[in-house]
Amino acid sequence: MTLTTGSGFAQVRRLPLVLFVVIYTVVTGGPLLWVAMMSLRTTTEIFKNPYGFPSPVHWEKFADAWTKSNYGTYFWNSTIVVVIAVLLVTVVGAMAAHCLARYTFRGNRLVRFAILTGLVLPPQLVILALFQILLDIHLYNTLTGLILVYVATHIAITVYILEGFFAQIPQDLFDAARMDGYSDFEIFWRVTMPIGAPAIFTTVTLNFIVLWNEFLFAVVLLTDDNKRTLPLGLMHFTGSHQLDVGMAATGLMIAMLPVVVIYAFFSETMIKGMTAGAVR
Amino acid sequence: MFARAARALRDPGSSTIDARRASLGILAAFLAPALLIYAGFTIYPVIRTFYNAFFTIKPQGVVDFVGFGNFTALLFADPTFWKAVTNTALFTIVATIVDVIGGLLLALVLFARAPLAPLLRVVWFTPVLMSYVVVGIIWVWMYDYDWGLANATLRWLGLGGWEQSWLGQPSTALWSVLAAHEWKWLGFNMIVFLAALHALPGEVLGAAELDNCGWLAKLVYIIVPMLRTTVVNLTVLSFIGKMMVFDLIWVMTGGGPLWATETVSTYVYKRAFEWNTFDLGYPSAIAVLWFIIILAFIAIITRVFRQRDKLEF
Amino acid sequence: MHASLSMRGVTAAGLIALALLIGAAPGANAQGVTIEVWSHEADEPAKVAFREQAVKNFEKSHPGTKVKITWYEKNPLNAALKTALPAGQGPDVFYVEPDQTEYITAGYVTPLDDLVNWNNIEPWARKVWTHNGKTYGVAQEAYTVELYYNKDMLQKLGVALPASNQFTQAQFLDLVKKARAAGMTPISQGVGDRPYPGAYITVEALLRKLGPDDYEKLFTGKLSFADPRVVEVLKWVKELADAGAYPKNFMTLKLGESHYYFYSKPGALMLPMGSFYTGRAFVPEDKGGQPPTFPLGIMQFPAMNGGACNDCKTSTVGASFAINAASKNKKLAGEFLDAMSTPEMGKMWIETVYLQTGIKADVKQFTGPHAAYFTELMERQKGKKYFVGQPRDMVKGECKDAFAQVLNSGFPGGLISVDQTVQMMNKACYKS
Repeated sequence: MTLTTGSGFAQVRRLPLVLFVVIYTVVTGGPLLWVAMMSLRTTTEIFKNPYGFPSPVHWEKFADAWTKSNYGTYFWNSTIVVVIAVLLVTVVGAMAAHCLARYTFRGNRLVRFAILTGLVLPPQLVILALFQILLDIHLYNTLTGLILVYVATHIAITVYILEGFFAQIPQDLFDAARMDGYSDFEIFWRVTMPIGAPAIFTTVTLNFIVLWNEFLFAVVLLTDDNKRTLPLGLMHFTGSHQLDVGMAATGLMIAMLPVVVIYAFFSETMIKGMTAGAVR
Repeated sequence: MFARAARALRDPGSSTIDARRASLGILAAFLAPALLIYAGFTIYPVIRTFYNAFFTIKPQGVVDFVGFGNFTALLFADPTFWKAVTNTALFTIVATIVDVIGGLLLALVLFARAPLAPLLRVVWFTPVLMSYVVVGIIWVWMYDYDWGLANATLRWLGLGGWEQSWLGQPSTALWSVLAAHEWKWLGFNMIVFLAALHALPGEVLGAAELDNCGWLAKLVYIIVPMLRTTVVNLTVLSFIGKMMVFDLIWVMTGGGPLWATETVSTYVYKRAFEWNTFDLGYPSAIAVLWFIIILAFIAIITRVFRQRDKLEF
Repeated sequence: MHASLSMRGVTAAGLIALALLIGAAPGANAQGVTIEVWSHEADEPAKVAFREQAVKNFEKSHPGTKVKITWYEKNPLNAALKTALPAGQGPDVFYVEPDQTEYITAGYVTPLDDLVNWNNIEPWARKVWTHNGKTYGVAQEAYTVELYYNKDMLQKLGVALPASNQFTQAQFLDLVKKARAAGMTPISQGVGDRPYPGAYITVEALLRKLGPDDYEKLFTGKLSFADPRVVEVLKWVKELADAGAYPKNFMTLKLGESHYYFYSKPGALMLPMGSFYTGRAFVPEDKGGQPPTFPLGIMQFPAMNGGACNDCKTSTVGASFAINAASKNKKLAGEFLDAMSTPEMGKMWIETVYLQTGIKADVKQFTGPHAAYFTELMERQKGKKYFVGQPRDMVKGECKDAFAQVLNSGFPGGLISVDQTVQMMNKACYKS
């Protein structure tokens, strides 16, 4: 559905809208284009002329970053950690949110409050306690340990968003499902999850983005170079001595492009899915 | 299944099964995984932090119980803390407003089938995917006095008199960082609103169309109220995120100049990791105090905004 | 009877053999030790090569033992150490800098007096790491603080450097004004990513005005910033800043960028910098180094009117290494530190990293493309009195924060007055 039907776009005065679109695209896309150009130039070329066009075009930088700077390993580690963590936190969080939103029981408020407290914890402080815990269960310096930490630190936000949304679903749907003899789990899977799709989309996107770029926990909890994730790889180029802007730009392009591609497809499907659900 | 729901609506007396109650076993099955991980990895650190706030850790591992000492020092003898609180509060309020309104505007533009909408949707979203480190680097360069795009554009437009050291002056530093932060995050709010807009029932919009509502009236009286939940959720989400803002500020200004961009998070980080000390008591006290403040704000906001309207079908 | 005796004999022999095997086993295991090292400076290839050479030498002389270096950036390294050490974890050896005394006071590093061969280390380098009679770190890098300048630009301004290579206060201010008038940036400096460069001119002037003892008192909270000599110096620096000594993007210019600003684009007259300047400057030009024909000169920091020690210079220790108190391989770790500190390694450091070192290395003849630079550097150091240490290593806690925000950034950046500076620094540092 759109804001207007047919030639409705003409209803909204065209010029200011187009102007706005152009300006905003330049503002958002401009720096991106600049980074893309920088990713194909060497740092000295960039310092000489920050906004110039790449000439020659240094395609080999991408290969360099992937091989010489261990980018391949970092990329793989990031993918494993983030995908699993997001999957886990979404499922676990949705289950908890569903339970808190749809069932009345003693302690509901307490649990909800406890989870809320997790929203506002500064990572700089919890890291020390987390470190100790991971040590005790022998998961320090492992990808599994990092995944668990990521899941734990994002349960709060996931539950918060999903609970709010799930609570809005009309009770009658659940009553009807009960009458039809659906089990509790089936109700969760067939009623809450599909209707809650927009909220789930929100949490998946948010968690993915935040975790893909997460730095502090990754640097403290992983000490083996071959376990490091992508943000740590970027660290190589943004070191405190030399700011290798050219390679940092290349590194960024490598980190971003696949995610952008995934997003480009994923969002299309998601929005189609939601639109289909709304049409009667 | 929807047909059955419709039947149930027409005949409310027919159901006596309470779908709101479940056995302990079911409850446990749903809650256990989350609570277990959460209890182990979050509850314990929270308790630990609260505990640490009442102590000072001295050299050689000596731990001194100071009661509320850290808190009194914080509230009455720490001007940096209060500067950080003011900065964070300002930043949060302004940024949240920009976030929500900006995100909604962008989503509406796309929803109104602006040209090249699918492409724009991706382009406008990409800053969200960038890591703070690179966003910080790019914007520090943009704000550079001599070769930055910001001043260069002003000069090109003939407004050379307006050029500033954006990040180097206490008066403009915080707002400059805010602009960079919004640049990165607006796309996120945009797609959340976009998703919500797409999930709106078509009939209501269609009906409004038939009633010959102008687009502005449609916007204000129909769409925004229907998006109420999303607005509230995004406001709270944005609020929390901005209250905890750390990475971008750290990369762009490190809290300077002259504490103009010092936030509670950067101050906590400095005290915990950069003050040549292993004392965690004081930074823990800051975290606890801040935590209470944020909770209070969230409670107020949700109470003011949240009414449990049901989705209508 | 016979049979049972021989049975016992066999059993006894078997038991003895078993005991020998068990006894030998731990010895065999000690061979498979890996020393863990956490280091900084992965983006300086010469330093990486240096440390890896030491690893090679060590592994050769200790067959069966391995050394594993994990590279970090500085802030992440501190975060990782501050998390690991209190939990009794962390590497065997790690990178430290002299201002990080908190590791010592918290007991996380072990005294090295008996673990390292101190004959190879300069006594002043050892002193920097000695607290309460025990030494806790091995200094690898040493540097002095110099005032680099562009010889050609100075000539163009028609100003000649006195024979002592040191300007007076008035001459220096005059030079700054002349440079600005000619469209040159007098001093390239930036505080975008470090908490100390903006303060170079100020603290060097304070050292010469106050002399080493009062200088140390000032930055350890025993002398007030309201002292008339301090105020005089601050007023002079304010005149410099007001005359446009620093670049317009002083507040955000990064340390590495300030080098480039000085010797490439847009070019500046002077650059106050530690002699680790070479780490960036002597790199090939296409990697950001200075052009091979750059007319690099070194002058002394200006002499102060009525200065107590105009012949003073600052030297200090930089990159150092310490041993984790919780390490299970202290002796081997100590031997690795020795491997990094032999005279040959000292020579390698100077010749490849182009920096001074705390290792005793006797390099009389300088060869190679930068011989002229080193000759001039040594010339400037003749007859000078060295103050070993820097303010940023002496100040702690709130004073450190104030130093970074006020003396390093706000004051030279022209944001606050002399009175405000005195007030803020005293509030944070002076323990009356």
